[in-house]
Amino acid sequence: MINDIFNILLPQVGLGIFIILLFILSMLLSPRCYKYARIISAVGISIAITLLSTVQTEPQYFGFRGSIMSDSYTLLFDFIILLCGFFTVLLTKNLVKTIKRNAFTFFALLLSAIMGAINVVSANDFLTLFVSIELLGFSTYFLISVSKGYYSKEAAFKYLITSAVSSGFFLFGVSYLYGITGSINFSQIYEYITDNETSLVYSVSAIMIVLGLASKLAVFPFANWIIDVYKGCETSILAFLSTIPKLAMFGIICRLMVFPLGNSFELTFVIAVLCLITAFWANTYAIRENNVKVIFACSASANASYALMTASLVSVYNLSTVIFYLLCYVIMNLGVFAFLNMFGEEKPFDVSNFSGIFHRNHGLTAAYALSVLSLAGIPVMSGFIAKIYLFTAISSSGFVFVPFLLGLLLLMVMALFYYLKVILPLFENYDKNNETVKIKANFSQQFVLYLTTGLTLFIGICPEFLIELCRFIAYNI
Amino acid sequence: MNMILSIPILILIPCVISLILLSPLFTSNEVTIRRFAKSVCAFHFAYTILMLIFFDSANPYTANISFWGADWVQALGIKFSFKIDEISMILCALTSFVFLIASISSKFNIRKNHKFYYSMLLLLEAAIIGIFTSSDMFLFFLFWELEMIPAYFLIGGSFNYGAKNYDEERERAKKSAIKFILFTFSGSMFMLLGILLLHHYNFIINGVLSSCFTDINDSAIPMSIQLFIASCLLIGFGVKLPIIPLHTWLPDAHTNASTPVSMVLAGVLLKTGAYGIYRFNYETLPQSFQIIAPILAILAIINIIYTAFVCYAQTDIKRIVAYSSISNMGLILLSLCAFNKIGLAASVFHMIAHGLVTCGLFMITGIVYLRFKDRNINTLQGVAMVMPRLFGFAVLIVLASIGVPMFAPFISEILTIISAMNSELSFVIRISALLSLPLLILSSCYMLKFLHKGFYGELKEEYLKVNDLSVHEFVVLASILGGLLVFGLFPNSILSMIS
Repeated sequence: MINDIFNILLPQVGLGIFIILLFILSMLLSPRCYKYARIISAVGISIAITLLSTVQTEPQYFGFRGSIMSDSYTLLFDFIILLCGFFTVLLTKNLVKTIKRNAFTFFALLLSAIMGAINVVSANDFLTLFVSIELLGFSTYFLISVSKGYYSKEAAFKYLITSAVSSGFFLFGVSYLYGITGSINFSQIYEYITDNETSLVYSVSAIMIVLGLASKLAVFPFANWIIDVYKGCETSILAFLSTIPKLAMFGIICRLMVFPLGNSFELTFVIAVLCLITAFWANTYAIRENNVKVIFACSASANASYALMTASLVSVYNLSTVIFYLLCYVIMNLGVFAFLNMFGEEKPFDVSNFSGIFHRNHGLTAAYALSVLSLAGIPVMSGFIAKIYLFTAISSSGFVFVPFLLGLLLLMVMALFYYLKVILPLFENYDKNNETVKIKANFSQQFVLYLTTGLTLFIGICPEFLIELCRFIAYNI
Repeated sequence: MNMILSIPILILIPCVISLILLSPLFTSNEVTIRRFAKSVCAFHFAYTILMLIFFDSANPYTANISFWGADWVQALGIKFSFKIDEISMILCALTSFVFLIASISSKFNIRKNHKFYYSMLLLLEAAIIGIFTSSDMFLFFLFWELEMIPAYFLIGGSFNYGAKNYDEERERAKKSAIKFILFTFSGSMFMLLGILLLHHYNFIINGVLSSCFTDINDSAIPMSIQLFIASCLLIGFGVKLPIIPLHTWLPDAHTNASTPVSMVLAGVLLKTGAYGIYRFNYETLPQSFQIIAPILAILAIINIIYTAFVCYAQTDIKRIVAYSSISNMGLILLSLCAFNKIGLAASVFHMIAHGLVTCGLFMITGIVYLRFKDRNINTLQGVAMVMPRLFGFAVLIVLASIGVPMFAPFISEILTIISAMNSELSFVIRISALLSLPLLILSSCYMLKFLHKGFYGELKEEYLKVNDLSVHEFVVLASILGGLLVFGLFPNSILSMIS
């Protein structure tokens, strides 16, 4: 037991210590010390990142009687999740000023959400997975509702209800799977399904499980929450919401699809069809929207569905494309939300409020525009390579999936339309006497924006290293 | 010599200069920017001509860029590799020339946002040169996509200044730019599907994980799949070319863009579609092309005849020129469909000839519009009375576009018809050759109407003080006319290179 803790659990333990520390400090310190909360949590995440080096990965390590595991795949996801968490903490400077009293609790919840996300990826049985998902989910409700006003509460409540229903789906699937295989451990289920014939009930349970998990990615039956949640959420929380739960869920869905749920052909088709519906819904919804946050909500849903469709066509090669796509997507998204965070919460995020912003803030706006163009899949940014690499996976999965691919490609035209709608007002002419469009950005926001845009460009021009890494990870799963 | 004359430099010159122009450190003085951009274009043209002079068809220019010893995407066999063969070389020279004259003629047409405009112009040049030189399918696609963004900003941002109804004109330019980008992007998505499938089937059938044009062997790929791939690719190129049902973006984009942008669009951008058909369908997938060619020939005939009639009905002089270029692109498509050596030579020759002619015509309409603030052929008249020099050029260039001997289009039209007549593929193509003959009459109808209605007649009083051509405009028109005459009198200079 103690061995297991020291072999694979030290990052979580580090985070846990800092969570407790933040809770204690929230009781002891006066509200004036709110600035330290951000620094303490940043230190906590940095320590967790350093502790990742202690995790055993060769070739796979199972701890706590096989309920938690670690290999290079989980290590990569843990690293990216922690990094995203770090960037989120950097972006929260403006938010913390408005919630002075609750700053310590807020960061404790943020850290526990990150801890939940790490646990989700490294879970090796359904019980651990469920507990971790709830840890991630419950922290997220509070994070969403943290900003002032009615909309954030509405958003949190909506997220709560959707998550509850999707948890029901998930548990339903798990109970059926337990009924078939007699185990909740991934390895034992995988052994069972490779030895025995599978039935339709197995497929139904697999579909239920994946749907329950995919609700956090806003895939079709549970897609509507994303609009209201993004609308009501503070931008730094959006940077969290659009990266960390997504990474965690993809991390576990990919593993489930390769091992315990990998024997179901129905799953592939159901997920592919649902993803196509999601992509269609999200892209058409965004066309008539004028709120930038909602447009990015739709974009998040659509992008998740592209990646999930590829992940459902199970093969190791496809897995590497999905991981690469996710990494590129997360980087672009952080850049986008860093810019929106600088823009501030005072004005509504209407497209017209961004007009002419380029003329006073050249660097920041250009970086933002590059990130958005990258999301649209325009070269030379990483989004171009990521999309091409992802679509090679679908095209090489057989001629049956060509209609799906064609559908996705045509939906990308719609996507380009709404991304252009976001970008174009930035460059419009404006009245030179108008003082309000000068953006006041602090150092950490600029750092995140420029770093992510630089990475986006770098990966776009020479993607080979990251692709090699993703292939290595995918072949070692 | 190969060290100095290399393809990456050819692409990087405009690309880097465009970034320099865009950076806030560069001066925002209008004159400096204009002269700087012009001299860069001139240098680029000189560089291309040097490459053309030292071109050796036995030993074409190639370049393969690697990143710290690794290819671009090794997992897919995608390489960052370039190659210039005869056709690419000729088209690069055309591109460089058109951009040079476009940058010269920008002086009177662009009044605002100079930095952004010239930067986008140079970025577009880099992308188009990239399309013509890349020897890898995905690299081709990269440049194909890259070209859209500057083209969008050029069409939507640099509208016709000095218009009477400024705001309306601006809105229209934006709308047509969106139309352009949506059409092109949907086309290119079909093209991406074709490329992905071609890459995949080439890998599983021939066992070569590569996306270079030379590594693709279509002989063993099943014909149904080949046809599917070929038609996906053709939709992509057909939007750019344009082939008839996919053409509606073109008249709007060309009409609402400012003169130099229209010159670039019609002069070079349309040729990327024809080049794509040559590179992918004609050269890489010849088997399926032979089956599709008769259908394409019919589409080409529709392009030629239908647009000629549409063109005759237009009243906007820019629209007349735009439709006439659709008609001429049909001719290029027809000569490619002939699938023989003469046809290939004819198509490349017509790309050059039409590129020059259409640049000249757009220049003339632009000059007239700048002076008279009017593009309607019914109200515009008497231009010849105050602008005799422009009239002289207009007559000569219109004659060239009709296909009068001594000018370049004459040679290419004759060659097209000869090649289609001699085509061994199908009788449909031979009949198409016959059907394309009316083009010569129809084109003279609409072009002479353009000349007759616009330039003759009584001049309105308010236009009596209009100035004739300025030095810039004279230089542009004279160089276009010179090119037309040189290639019309010595066609072998190009034809000998191709065959």
